[in-house]
Amino acid sequence: MKMKWISILMVAWVLCGAALGPAQADTLENMERERAILLDALLSPGLTVAEREGRITISKTRLIDLERMVLRDKSLMGRNTPTVRAAFENYDLTFLVHATAEKNLALIDHWLHEVGVSTPALMNARIGRR
Amino acid sequence: MKQYSNPQREIAQQLIRAVGIDGAIYYAHQNQWEGIVTQIRNPHATAMNRTLTLETGKPARRRSALIGVLVAGIIATAMPSLAAAEIDRATWRPEASERLIKLPGAYLKKAIDHDFAGSELAAALGDVETDINLKNQTLSDLQAATDQANGELRTELQHQFLAEKREYLRLVGERQDLVRRQLNTKIRVYERLLKKLDREGAGMTPAREALQENQKKARERFENSVANVDMQLFGGSAASESKYAREYAKNLVAIETLVQAIKEHPMNTQTEIDGQPVSKQDYLRQLISESESELAVIDQEETILGYMAKLIGLDATALSEEVAEANVTDDDLSSETANITSAVDFFITR
Repeated sequence: MKMKWISILMVAWVLCGAALGPAQADTLENMERERAILLDALLSPGLTVAEREGRITISKTRLIDLERMVLRDKSLMGRNTPTVRAAFENYDLTFLVHATAEKNLALIDHWLHEVGVSTPALMNARIGRR
Repeated sequence: MKQYSNPQREIAQQLIRAVGIDGAIYYAHQNQWEGIVTQIRNPHATAMNRTLTLETGKPARRRSALIGVLVAGIIATAMPSLAAAEIDRATWRPEASERLIKLPGAYLKKAIDHDFAGSELAAALGDVETDINLKNQTLSDLQAATDQANGELRTELQHQFLAEKREYLRLVGERQDLVRRQLNTKIRVYERLLKKLDREGAGMTPAREALQENQKKARERFENSVANVDMQLFGGSAASESKYAREYAKNLVAIETLVQAIKEHPMNTQTEIDGQPVSKQDYLRQLISESESELAVIDQEETILGYMAKLIGLDATALSEEVAEANVTDDDLSSETANITSAVDFFITR
Protein backbone atom coordinates (compact mmCIF):
# COMPACT_ATOMS: atom_id res chain seq x y z
CA MET A 1 0.00 0.00 0.00
CA LYS A 2 2.76 2.35 1.04
CA MET A 3 4.77 1.50 -2.06
CA LYS A 4 1.76 2.24 -4.21
CA TRP A 5 1.43 5.73 -2.74
CA ILE A 6 5.11 6.38 -3.24
CA SER A 7 4.92 5.37 -6.88
CA ILE A 8 1.83 7.57 -7.42
CA LEU A 9 3.66 10.53 -5.86
CA MET A 10 6.71 9.91 -8.04
CA VAL A 11 4.59 9.80 -11.20
CA ALA A 12 2.82 13.00 -10.14
CA TRP A 13 6.17 14.68 -9.49
CA VAL A 14 7.52 13.60 -12.88
CA LEU A 15 4.38 14.87 -14.59
CA CYS A 16 4.64 18.21 -12.77
CA GLY A 17 8.27 18.48 -13.84
CA ALA A 18 7.33 17.69 -17.42
CA ALA A 19 4.59 20.27 -17.31
CA LEU A 20 6.82 22.98 -15.85
CA GLY A 21 9.86 22.22 -18.03
CA PRO A 22 8.83 23.30 -21.51
CA ALA A 23 6.66 26.16 -20.27
CA GLN A 24 9.11 28.71 -21.71
CA ALA A 25 7.27 30.80 -24.29
CA ASP A 26 8.51 30.71 -27.87
CA THR A 27 7.50 34.00 -29.43
CA LEU A 28 7.90 32.73 -32.98
CA GLU A 29 5.78 29.65 -32.36
CA ASN A 30 3.03 31.73 -30.74
CA MET A 31 3.04 34.13 -33.63
CA GLU A 32 2.89 31.35 -36.22
CA ARG A 33 -0.05 29.80 -34.40
CA GLU A 34 -1.94 33.08 -34.26
CA ARG A 35 -1.22 33.80 -37.91
CA ALA A 36 -2.57 30.38 -38.85
CA ILE A 37 -5.76 31.24 -36.95
CA LEU A 38 -5.95 34.56 -38.80
CA LEU A 39 -5.51 32.89 -42.19
CA ASP A 40 -8.11 30.33 -41.24
CA ALA A 41 -10.51 33.17 -40.43
CA LEU A 42 -9.69 34.85 -43.75
CA LEU A 43 -10.19 31.74 -45.87
CA SER A 44 -12.75 29.69 -43.99
CA PRO A 45 -15.85 29.44 -46.25
CA GLY A 46 -18.24 28.50 -43.46
CA LEU A 47 -18.08 31.85 -41.60
CA THR A 48 -20.54 34.70 -41.85
CA VAL A 49 -19.22 38.20 -42.55
CA ALA A 50 -19.76 39.26 -38.95
CA GLU A 51 -18.09 36.16 -37.57
CA ARG A 52 -15.14 36.57 -39.94
CA GLU A 53 -14.82 40.26 -39.04
CA GLY A 54 -14.88 39.51 -35.31
CA ARG A 55 -12.28 36.72 -35.53
CA ILE A 56 -10.00 38.78 -37.80
CA THR A 57 -10.09 41.75 -35.40
CA ILE A 58 -9.19 39.57 -32.41
CA SER A 59 -6.34 37.81 -34.27
CA LYS A 60 -5.04 41.05 -35.73
CA THR A 61 -4.86 42.71 -32.32
CA ARG A 62 -2.97 39.73 -30.94
CA LEU A 63 -0.68 39.55 -33.95
CA ILE A 64 0.37 43.20 -33.66
CA ASP A 65 1.94 42.41 -30.31
CA LEU A 66 3.20 38.97 -31.26
CA GLU A 67 4.95 40.21 -34.40
CA ARG A 68 6.66 42.94 -32.41
CA MET A 69 7.71 40.43 -29.80
CA VAL A 70 9.33 38.28 -32.48
CA LEU A 71 11.08 41.23 -34.07
CA ARG A 72 12.46 42.31 -30.69
CA ASP A 73 13.30 38.83 -29.45
CA LYS A 74 17.09 38.73 -28.99
CA SER A 75 17.06 34.97 -28.42
CA LEU A 76 16.18 34.50 -32.08
CA MET A 77 19.28 36.38 -33.27
CA GLY A 78 21.40 33.91 -35.21
CA ARG A 79 19.34 30.90 -34.06
CA ASN A 80 19.92 28.87 -37.17
CA THR A 81 16.88 26.56 -37.20
CA PRO A 82 14.66 25.85 -40.24
CA THR A 83 11.69 27.61 -38.55
CA VAL A 84 13.62 30.78 -37.78
CA ARG A 85 15.30 30.78 -41.20
CA ALA A 86 11.95 30.42 -42.98
CA ALA A 87 10.35 33.09 -40.78
CA PHE A 88 12.90 35.75 -41.63
CA GLU A 89 13.20 34.87 -45.31
CA ASN A 90 9.95 36.63 -46.17
CA TYR A 91 9.01 39.62 -44.01
CA ASP A 92 5.79 40.25 -45.91
CA LEU A 93 4.39 36.81 -45.18
CA THR A 94 5.74 36.35 -41.66
CA PHE A 95 4.91 39.76 -40.25
CA LEU A 96 1.64 39.89 -42.06
CA VAL A 97 -0.18 42.58 -40.05
CA HIS A 98 2.75 45.02 -40.07
CA ALA A 99 3.48 44.50 -43.76
CA THR A 100 -0.18 45.03 -44.59
CA ALA A 101 -0.40 48.23 -42.56
CA GLU A 102 2.86 49.43 -44.08
CA LYS A 103 1.46 48.98 -47.60
CA ASN A 104 -1.99 50.19 -46.62
CA LEU A 105 -3.72 47.11 -48.05
CA ALA A 106 -6.42 44.74 -46.86
CA LEU A 107 -5.06 41.66 -45.14
CA ILE A 108 -6.46 39.19 -47.63
CA ASP A 109 -5.25 41.21 -50.65
CA HIS A 110 -1.76 41.43 -49.28
CA TRP A 111 -1.61 37.74 -48.37
CA LEU A 112 -2.98 36.57 -51.74
CA HIS A 113 -0.51 38.83 -53.53
CA GLU A 114 2.37 37.41 -51.55
CA VAL A 115 1.42 33.80 -52.22
CA GLY A 116 1.06 34.63 -55.92
CA VAL A 117 -2.69 34.64 -56.33
CA SER A 118 -3.83 37.59 -58.41
CA THR A 119 -6.92 38.38 -60.52
CA PRO A 120 -5.18 37.69 -63.89
CA ALA A 121 -3.75 34.46 -62.45
CA LEU A 122 -7.23 33.37 -61.34
CA MET A 123 -8.75 34.37 -64.67
CA ASN A 124 -6.18 32.29 -66.52
CA ALA A 125 -6.62 29.30 -64.26
CA ARG A 126 -8.37 26.19 -65.56
CA ILE A 127 -9.88 23.34 -63.68
CA GLY A 128 -7.93 20.16 -64.26
CA ARG A 129 -6.53 17.04 -62.71
CA ARG A 130 -3.05 17.24 -61.26
CA MET B 1 90.55 46.47 16.19
CA LYS B 2 92.04 49.25 14.16
CA GLN B 3 94.39 46.82 12.42
CA TYR B 4 91.44 44.61 11.48
CA SER B 5 89.28 47.40 10.09
CA ASN B 6 91.92 49.08 7.95
CA PRO B 7 92.29 46.36 5.26
CA GLN B 8 88.54 46.29 4.78
CA ARG B 9 88.44 50.02 4.33
CA GLU B 10 91.33 49.86 1.89
CA ILE B 11 89.59 47.18 -0.20
CA ALA B 12 86.36 49.17 -0.05
CA GLN B 13 88.15 52.27 -1.30
CA GLN B 14 89.84 50.34 -4.07
CA LEU B 15 86.54 48.82 -5.12
CA ILE B 16 84.84 52.22 -5.16
CA ARG B 17 87.67 53.64 -7.19
CA ALA B 18 87.56 50.77 -9.63
CA VAL B 19 83.87 50.38 -10.34
CA GLY B 20 82.03 53.17 -8.55
CA ILE B 21 79.97 52.94 -5.39
CA ASP B 22 77.06 50.99 -6.91
CA GLY B 23 79.34 48.47 -8.57
CA ALA B 24 81.37 48.08 -5.38
CA ILE B 25 78.27 47.40 -3.28
CA TYR B 26 77.02 44.92 -5.87
CA TYR B 27 80.32 43.05 -6.02
CA ALA B 28 80.74 42.98 -2.22
CA HIS B 29 77.18 41.67 -1.86
CA GLN B 30 77.79 38.95 -4.40
CA ASN B 31 80.81 37.76 -2.43
CA GLN B 32 79.06 38.27 0.93
CA TRP B 33 81.71 40.69 2.16
CA GLU B 34 79.51 42.32 4.73
CA GLY B 35 82.36 44.19 6.41
CA ILE B 36 83.35 45.75 3.11
CA VAL B 37 79.75 46.66 2.36
CA THR B 38 79.67 48.50 5.69
CA GLN B 39 82.89 50.28 4.79
CA ILE B 40 81.54 51.24 1.35
CA ARG B 41 78.43 52.66 2.92
CA ASN B 42 80.54 54.52 5.48
CA PRO B 43 80.52 58.17 4.34
CA HIS B 44 84.00 58.67 5.78
CA ALA B 45 85.42 55.92 3.56
CA THR B 46 83.64 57.31 0.54
CA ALA B 47 84.80 60.83 1.20
CA MET B 48 88.33 59.57 1.73
CA ASN B 49 88.16 57.77 -1.57
CA ARG B 50 87.18 60.97 -3.34
CA THR B 51 90.14 62.75 -1.75
CA LEU B 52 92.41 59.96 -2.85
CA THR B 53 91.15 60.15 -6.40
CA LEU B 54 92.10 63.77 -6.70
CA GLU B 55 95.50 63.48 -5.12
CA THR B 56 98.46 62.70 -7.34
CA GLY B 57 102.03 61.54 -7.29
CA LYS B 58 102.24 59.61 -4.01
CA PRO B 59 103.70 56.09 -4.28
CA ALA B 60 101.23 54.54 -1.78
CA ARG B 61 98.30 55.99 -3.64
CA ARG B 62 99.75 54.85 -6.94
CA ARG B 63 99.98 51.31 -5.61
CA SER B 64 96.36 51.51 -4.46
CA ALA B 65 95.36 52.80 -7.86
CA LEU B 66 97.10 49.90 -9.56
CA ILE B 67 95.34 47.45 -7.25
CA GLY B 68 92.12 49.28 -8.14
CA VAL B 69 92.73 48.75 -11.84
CA LEU B 70 93.39 45.06 -11.15
CA VAL B 71 90.16 44.73 -9.15
CA ALA B 72 88.31 46.57 -11.91
CA GLY B 73 89.56 44.01 -14.38
CA ILE B 74 88.37 41.16 -12.18
CA ILE B 75 84.98 42.76 -11.62
CA ALA B 76 84.56 43.68 -15.25
CA THR B 77 84.87 40.01 -16.11
CA ALA B 78 82.82 38.72 -13.18
CA MET B 79 79.88 41.15 -13.11
CA PRO B 80 78.52 40.71 -16.63
CA SER B 81 78.22 36.95 -16.24
CA LEU B 82 76.37 37.28 -12.92
CA ALA B 83 74.01 39.95 -14.22
CA ALA B 84 73.47 38.16 -17.51
CA ALA B 85 72.40 35.01 -15.68
CA GLU B 86 69.85 36.97 -13.67
CA ILE B 87 68.51 38.72 -16.74
CA ASP B 88 68.20 35.46 -18.68
CA ARG B 89 66.04 34.08 -15.89
CA ALA B 90 63.66 37.07 -15.99
CA THR B 91 60.48 36.13 -17.80
CA TRP B 92 57.03 37.42 -18.60
CA ARG B 93 54.40 34.90 -19.64
CA PRO B 94 51.06 36.62 -20.13
CA GLU B 95 48.09 34.58 -21.29
CA ALA B 96 45.65 35.54 -24.03
CA SER B 97 42.70 34.60 -21.81
CA GLU B 98 38.99 34.91 -22.47
CA ARG B 99 38.88 37.67 -19.86
CA LEU B 100 41.22 39.77 -21.98
CA ILE B 101 39.04 39.25 -25.05
CA LYS B 102 35.94 40.36 -23.19
CA LEU B 103 37.59 43.52 -21.82
CA PRO B 104 36.80 46.81 -23.57
CA GLY B 105 39.53 47.62 -26.10
CA ALA B 106 40.83 50.63 -24.17
CA TYR B 107 41.37 48.51 -21.06
CA LEU B 108 42.96 45.60 -22.87
CA LYS B 109 46.26 47.42 -23.25
CA LYS B 110 46.13 48.59 -19.63
CA ALA B 111 45.51 45.02 -18.43
CA ILE B 112 48.51 43.73 -20.39
CA ASP B 113 50.72 46.57 -19.14
CA HIS B 114 49.57 45.89 -15.59
CA ASP B 115 50.38 42.19 -16.01
CA PHE B 116 53.85 43.12 -17.27
CA ALA B 117 54.44 45.47 -14.32
CA GLY B 118 54.10 42.52 -11.94
CA SER B 119 56.45 40.25 -13.89
CA GLU B 120 60.10 39.27 -13.31
CA LEU B 121 60.96 40.87 -16.64
CA ALA B 122 59.64 44.23 -15.45
CA ALA B 123 61.61 43.90 -12.22
CA ALA B 124 64.79 43.10 -14.19
CA LEU B 125 64.12 46.02 -16.51
CA GLY B 126 63.66 48.30 -13.49
CA ASP B 127 66.96 47.09 -12.01
CA VAL B 128 68.81 47.68 -15.26
CA GLU B 129 67.26 51.17 -15.55
CA THR B 130 68.49 51.95 -12.02
CA ASP B 131 71.95 50.61 -12.87
CA ILE B 132 72.04 52.76 -16.00
CA ASN B 133 71.13 55.87 -14.01
CA LEU B 134 73.82 55.07 -11.44
CA LYS B 135 76.29 54.41 -14.23
CA ASN B 136 75.44 57.78 -15.73
CA GLN B 137 76.29 59.37 -12.40
CA THR B 138 79.54 57.39 -12.17
CA LEU B 139 80.50 58.44 -15.68
CA SER B 140 79.76 62.05 -14.88
CA ASP B 141 81.88 61.86 -11.67
CA LEU B 142 84.73 60.14 -13.48
CA GLN B 143 84.68 62.69 -16.28
CA ALA B 144 84.87 65.53 -13.76
CA ALA B 145 87.68 63.78 -11.86
CA THR B 146 89.64 63.11 -15.08
CA ASP B 147 89.45 66.78 -16.04
CA GLN B 148 91.01 67.73 -12.71
CA ALA B 149 93.67 65.01 -12.55
CA ASN B 150 97.17 65.03 -14.06
CA GLY B 151 99.89 62.60 -15.02
CA GLU B 152 99.66 58.93 -14.22
CA LEU B 153 96.43 59.31 -12.25
CA ARG B 154 94.80 61.01 -15.22
CA THR B 155 95.78 58.05 -17.42
CA GLU B 156 94.41 55.67 -14.87
CA LEU B 157 91.15 57.66 -14.61
CA GLN B 158 90.87 57.72 -18.39
CA HIS B 159 91.26 53.97 -18.33
CA GLN B 160 88.52 53.69 -15.71
CA PHE B 161 86.36 56.08 -17.69
CA LEU B 162 86.70 53.82 -20.75
CA ALA B 163 85.88 50.75 -18.65
CA GLU B 164 82.82 52.48 -17.23
CA LYS B 165 81.68 53.53 -20.68
CA ARG B 166 82.00 49.93 -21.83
CA GLU B 167 79.97 48.86 -18.81
CA TYR B 168 77.38 51.53 -19.61
CA LEU B 169 77.04 50.16 -23.14
CA ARG B 170 76.64 46.66 -21.75
CA LEU B 171 73.82 47.85 -19.48
CA VAL B 172 72.09 49.70 -22.31
CA GLY B 173 72.42 46.56 -24.43
CA GLU B 174 70.81 44.53 -21.65
CA ARG B 175 68.00 47.03 -21.37
CA GLN B 176 67.42 46.77 -25.10
CA ASP B 177 67.34 42.98 -24.88
CA LEU B 178 64.76 43.16 -22.11
CA VAL B 179 62.65 45.73 -23.93
CA ARG B 180 62.86 43.64 -27.09
CA ARG B 181 61.75 40.58 -25.13
CA GLN B 182 58.87 42.57 -23.65
CA LEU B 183 57.78 43.89 -27.07
CA ASN B 184 58.01 40.47 -28.72
CA THR B 185 55.90 38.94 -25.94
CA LYS B 186 53.38 41.76 -26.28
CA ILE B 187 53.14 41.21 -30.03
CA ARG B 188 52.65 37.47 -29.50
CA VAL B 189 49.81 38.13 -27.01
CA TYR B 190 48.11 40.64 -29.31
CA GLU B 191 48.38 38.22 -32.23
CA ARG B 192 46.93 35.38 -30.16
CA LEU B 193 44.03 37.62 -29.09
CA LEU B 194 43.46 38.64 -32.69
CA LYS B 195 43.39 35.00 -33.79
CA LYS B 196 40.90 34.14 -31.04
CA LEU B 197 38.67 37.01 -32.08
CA ASP B 198 38.89 35.91 -35.72
CA ARG B 199 38.05 32.35 -34.71
CA GLU B 200 34.91 33.60 -32.92
CA GLY B 201 33.80 35.24 -36.16
CA ALA B 202 34.77 32.16 -38.20
CA GLY B 203 31.94 30.17 -36.58
CA MET B 204 29.52 31.81 -39.04
CA THR B 205 28.22 29.49 -41.74
CA PRO B 206 26.77 31.01 -44.94
CA ALA B 207 23.27 29.99 -43.80
CA ARG B 208 23.73 31.67 -40.43
CA GLU B 209 25.15 34.77 -42.05
CA ALA B 210 22.15 34.92 -44.38
CA LEU B 211 19.80 34.50 -41.41
CA GLN B 212 21.46 37.30 -39.46
CA GLU B 213 21.32 39.51 -42.52
CA ASN B 214 17.60 38.78 -42.93
CA GLN B 215 16.97 39.47 -39.25
CA LYS B 216 18.84 42.73 -39.48
CA LYS B 217 16.84 43.79 -42.53
CA ALA B 218 13.57 42.80 -40.84
CA ARG B 219 14.37 44.87 -37.76
CA GLU B 220 15.41 47.85 -39.85
CA ARG B 221 12.23 47.63 -41.89
CA PHE B 222 10.16 47.38 -38.72
CA GLU B 223 11.91 50.32 -37.06
CA ASN B 224 11.48 52.46 -40.16
CA SER B 225 7.81 51.67 -40.57
CA VAL B 226 6.61 51.36 -36.98
CA ALA B 227 5.38 54.96 -36.73
CA ASN B 228 3.32 54.68 -39.93
CA VAL B 229 2.03 51.28 -38.90
CA ASP B 230 0.93 52.64 -35.51
CA MET B 231 -0.84 55.52 -37.22
CA GLN B 232 -2.49 53.09 -39.60
CA LEU B 233 -3.57 50.65 -36.89
CA PHE B 234 -4.39 52.93 -33.94
CA GLY B 235 -4.65 56.40 -35.49
CA GLY B 236 -8.34 56.85 -36.30
CA SER B 237 -9.97 53.69 -35.11
CA ALA B 238 -11.37 52.79 -31.76
CA ALA B 239 -8.62 50.19 -31.31
CA SER B 240 -6.32 51.09 -28.47
CA GLU B 241 -2.81 50.00 -27.71
CA SER B 242 -2.45 46.69 -25.93
CA LYS B 243 -1.08 46.24 -22.44
CA TYR B 244 2.14 44.88 -23.96
CA ALA B 245 2.55 48.00 -26.12
CA ARG B 246 1.99 50.34 -23.18
CA GLU B 247 4.34 48.47 -20.86
CA TYR B 248 6.94 48.15 -23.59
CA ALA B 249 6.87 51.90 -24.27
CA LYS B 250 7.24 52.61 -20.55
CA ASN B 251 10.17 50.23 -20.19
CA LEU B 252 11.78 51.52 -23.36
CA VAL B 253 12.37 54.93 -21.74
CA ALA B 254 14.11 53.26 -18.81
CA ILE B 255 16.15 51.04 -21.16
CA GLU B 256 17.26 54.02 -23.26
CA THR B 257 18.37 55.90 -20.13
CA LEU B 258 20.37 52.88 -18.97
CA VAL B 259 21.89 52.31 -22.42
CA GLN B 260 22.98 55.95 -22.51
CA ALA B 261 24.56 55.57 -19.05
CA ILE B 262 26.39 52.43 -20.24
CA LYS B 263 27.63 54.23 -23.34
CA GLU B 264 28.99 57.08 -21.23
CA HIS B 265 30.53 54.82 -18.60
CA PRO B 266 34.33 55.20 -18.49
CA MET B 267 34.81 51.42 -18.41
CA ASN B 268 32.90 51.14 -21.66
CA THR B 269 34.73 53.78 -23.68
CA GLN B 270 35.01 52.69 -27.26
CA THR B 271 38.47 52.34 -28.67
CA GLU B 272 39.49 55.14 -30.98
CA ILE B 273 42.35 55.75 -33.37
CA ASP B 274 42.81 59.40 -34.29
CA GLY B 275 39.34 60.16 -32.93
CA GLN B 276 37.71 57.49 -35.11
CA PRO B 277 35.95 54.63 -33.33
CA VAL B 278 37.44 51.27 -34.33
CA SER B 279 36.67 47.61 -33.75
CA LYS B 280 38.62 45.50 -31.26
CA GLN B 281 40.41 43.74 -34.11
CA ASP B 282 41.51 47.05 -35.61
CA TYR B 283 42.66 48.26 -32.22
CA LEU B 284 44.71 45.08 -31.70
CA ARG B 285 46.28 45.52 -35.13
CA GLN B 286 47.15 49.10 -34.15
CA LEU B 287 48.77 47.86 -30.91
CA ILE B 288 50.80 45.28 -32.87
CA SER B 289 51.92 47.96 -35.28
CA GLU B 290 52.93 50.27 -32.38
CA SER B 291 54.98 47.49 -30.78
CA GLU B 292 56.63 46.73 -34.12
CA SER B 293 57.58 50.38 -34.49
CA GLU B 294 59.09 50.36 -30.99
CA LEU B 295 61.13 47.32 -32.01
CA ALA B 296 62.33 49.17 -35.09
CA VAL B 297 63.46 52.08 -32.88
CA ILE B 298 65.32 49.60 -30.64
CA ASP B 299 67.09 48.26 -33.74
CA GLN B 300 68.07 51.80 -34.67
CA GLU B 301 69.35 52.42 -31.14
CA GLU B 302 71.50 49.34 -31.53
CA THR B 303 73.26 51.08 -34.39
CA ILE B 304 73.91 54.04 -32.08
CA LEU B 305 75.31 51.61 -29.50
CA GLY B 306 77.56 50.14 -32.19
CA TYR B 307 78.96 53.57 -32.98
CA MET B 308 79.46 54.28 -29.27
CA ALA B 309 81.34 50.99 -28.91
CA LYS B 310 83.50 51.88 -31.89
CA LEU B 311 84.32 55.24 -30.28
CA ILE B 312 85.29 53.46 -27.07
CA GLY B 313 87.58 51.21 -29.09
CA LEU B 314 89.17 54.23 -30.78
CA ASP B 315 89.54 56.01 -27.41
CA ALA B 316 91.17 52.88 -25.98
CA THR B 317 93.59 52.71 -28.90
CA ALA B 318 94.39 56.40 -28.50
CA LEU B 319 94.94 55.95 -24.78
CA SER B 320 97.23 52.96 -25.28
CA GLU B 321 99.18 54.94 -27.90
CA GLU B 322 99.44 57.81 -25.47
CA VAL B 323 100.69 55.52 -22.70
CA ALA B 324 103.12 53.79 -25.05
CA GLU B 325 104.40 57.17 -26.21
CA ALA B 326 104.87 58.25 -22.64
CA ASN B 327 106.78 55.04 -21.88
CA VAL B 328 109.13 55.67 -24.78
CA THR B 329 110.76 58.48 -22.79
CA ASP B 330 113.31 61.06 -23.71
CA ASP B 331 115.85 59.07 -21.68
CA ASP B 332 115.42 56.16 -24.11
CA LEU B 333 115.96 58.42 -27.11
CA SER B 334 118.79 60.34 -25.50
CA SER B 335 120.45 57.11 -24.45
CA GLU B 336 120.39 56.03 -28.07
CA THR B 337 121.96 59.35 -29.11
CA ALA B 338 124.42 59.08 -26.28
CA ASN B 339 125.43 55.67 -27.48
CA ILE B 340 126.28 57.04 -30.93
CA THR B 341 128.10 60.11 -29.71
CA SER B 342 130.01 58.11 -27.20
CA ALA B 343 131.12 55.88 -30.02
CA VAL B 344 132.62 58.85 -31.87
CA ASP B 345 135.51 58.72 -29.48
CA PHE B 346 136.29 55.32 -30.77
CA PHE B 347 136.75 56.75 -34.25
CA ILE B 348 138.68 59.88 -33.53
CA THR B 349 141.20 58.39 -31.15
CA ARG B 350 143.93 56.07 -32.17
